[in-house]
Amino acid sequence: MSGVFLEGIVKRYGAVEVVHGIDLEIQPQEFVVLVGPSGCGKSTTLRMIAGLEEISDGTLRIGERVMNRVAPKDRDVAMVFQNYALYPHLNVAENMAFGLRIRKTPKAEIATTIEETARILGLTEYLERRPADLSGGQRQRVAMGRAIVRHPDVFLFDEPLSNLDAKLRTQMRAEIKRLHKRLGVTSVYVTHDQVEAMTLADRIVVMADGRIEQIGTPMELFNNPANVFVASFIGSPPMNQFEATLEDSDAGPIAHANGTLIQLHGQEALRGSAGRDVIIGIRPEHVMLNAEPGTASIPIELDLIETLGSEALLHTHVGRETFVAKVETHGEIGHLHGVNALHVKPERVKVFDKETGQAIGQVA
Amino acid sequence: MMKSNLYSRGDKIFALAVSVLIGMFTVATLYPFIYIAAVSFSSGFAATAGKVVLTPIDATIEAYKYVLLDPQFWVSYRNTFIYTIGGTVMSLLFIIPGAYALSRPQLYGRRTWNLFIAFTMWFNAGLIPFFLNMRDLGLLDSMFGIILAFAVNAFNIILLRNFFEAIPQSFEEAARMDGANDFQVLWKVFVPLSKPAIATITLFCIVSRWNGFFWAMVLLQSEEKIPLQVFLRHTIATLSDDQEFTATLMDAAYSAETVTAAIIVCSIIPVLIVYPFIQKYFEKGILLGGVKE
Repeated sequence: MSGVFLEGIVKRYGAVEVVHGIDLEIQPQEFVVLVGPSGCGKSTTLRMIAGLEEISDGTLRIGERVMNRVAPKDRDVAMVFQNYALYPHLNVAENMAFGLRIRKTPKAEIATTIEETARILGLTEYLERRPADLSGGQRQRVAMGRAIVRHPDVFLFDEPLSNLDAKLRTQMRAEIKRLHKRLGVTSVYVTHDQVEAMTLADRIVVMADGRIEQIGTPMELFNNPANVFVASFIGSPPMNQFEATLEDSDAGPIAHANGTLIQLHGQEALRGSAGRDVIIGIRPEHVMLNAEPGTASIPIELDLIETLGSEALLHTHVGRETFVAKVETHGEIGHLHGVNALHVKPERVKVFDKETGQAIGQVA
Repeated sequence: MMKSNLYSRGDKIFALAVSVLIGMFTVATLYPFIYIAAVSFSSGFAATAGKVVLTPIDATIEAYKYVLLDPQFWVSYRNTFIYTIGGTVMSLLFIIPGAYALSRPQLYGRRTWNLFIAFTMWFNAGLIPFFLNMRDLGLLDSMFGIILAFAVNAFNIILLRNFFEAIPQSFEEAARMDGANDFQVLWKVFVPLSKPAIATITLFCIVSRWNGFFWAMVLLQSEEKIPLQVFLRHTIATLSDDQEFTATLMDAAYSAETVTAAIIVCSIIPVLIVYPFIQKYFEKGILLGGVKE
């Protein structure tokens, strides 16, 4: 298996630059997810790796080879498209065999490969069917089968699950993960769905406006977002954010937000920043109902309770900003109506510079 | 009653008007065919006297005997087949790759090329320059000349180009990732996906070749090369000029009218046979299922 290495990759359409110099190293067998909102350049980046878009500047290497000017067919990569792109006039077996036939693979070998792949993907009984006669999930599996049969060095996935319903998406997500474990092929996966990114990725690359905002493991991004964009993009519900001013106290730094004081004990990097305008970020999952020694307390007025079953979302506000807490219900929500303060451990509170949006004084 | 409530008075009048118009159109299309068939089976006298309206008068097959026993009829019939099949194949050989190239965004100067093609729809060289061109190319009185000269039709190219453009880009990209070159993308993906459009164009080509008259008359001199339509013209001229034949008209089992009608009926039959086979390709939704829109 080969790694994929992007050095200063730029994409321009005429005078408009849409990808502004991306540096990324994807190690062999790694599963990397490019995630970001629509128009952030993630699909363009993937298509440049595939060879479907020309690279305006920078160097793309797959393994040791520079691929900038190599045709898609010679890159040894296979791609799963968002809309499947199955040939409607061919049946499942013929769809999967298409690439092998073009490459003049011996018939017997094609038959064996198709049979084996169909077995892995649970498509054996559908081999004679046309795409029109398959469900969305089956079509997606055929699309993956078409990629797998070629035994490529790199798999590219372009939002492959976005056309499936929620239940099927969860199921296919697990299948893709299983498949990656089994085959160990270097994979680059594009999605705008942060849940997909979190569940599938070894490492996530968060992109916005044609730039990489942060690269890290799912937990790194969740716990230590590099900036407010990543903080709001990763996690569901997103991280609560509100403006505050830092103050110093004997016990350590304090954030002052519209009359609410939040202790930031232990965040020593913030000491001496009194008067600095910041954005405070608190994950809904990190909010506690009961105070513990040293926790920061936020007095609240409850606006709304959303019940999810085992968990509930408490909607409130800090200043004018909405504040959501995700708490466990233990099977009933009666006690939640009386909540008038929420608590958070100081080290869980993230602080971002108001001007730049970049994280300050992260605690691992 | 429920159903009638769903439609307003205006809707009903509209539906009625549409039905009447369609009925009139059907009659206008069908009647000439029925009339020609009736004339071809009528006696020469009845046809010339204008007695035939809907059914044959003094039914006879003399006109067909006259036509089918003329060896030149079979020669021109064969020629028409050659021009039709050869011409259609030649047209498709030019039109399909041409339309594909013009439909690709990566074609250098695509807009200009498209303009050049469309230009020929509005303006062409005209009769004399075209004739001189054919003469200088040594294609006068040449069967190959007839097949080649009308192979490219801008309208058909644009029709197919538009169809190709509507095929989702991802099919081409998937094929390229699978290792297909331009020719393979066209032949293994675009052509099978475009069967309805190609069938339509094939039918256009077949019909226009089958009915081709004017240029065949202008460009061909040898009797053994003329197509059916030119033969028809010759027959009408011959019978009309045949004074002796005209003199015996009262007794004639056939006349210029019945023979003409018989040739027309004979010339229509192959198109009637071919059409249902092509029609099955006019199926909708061939793209369904391959991509999720």
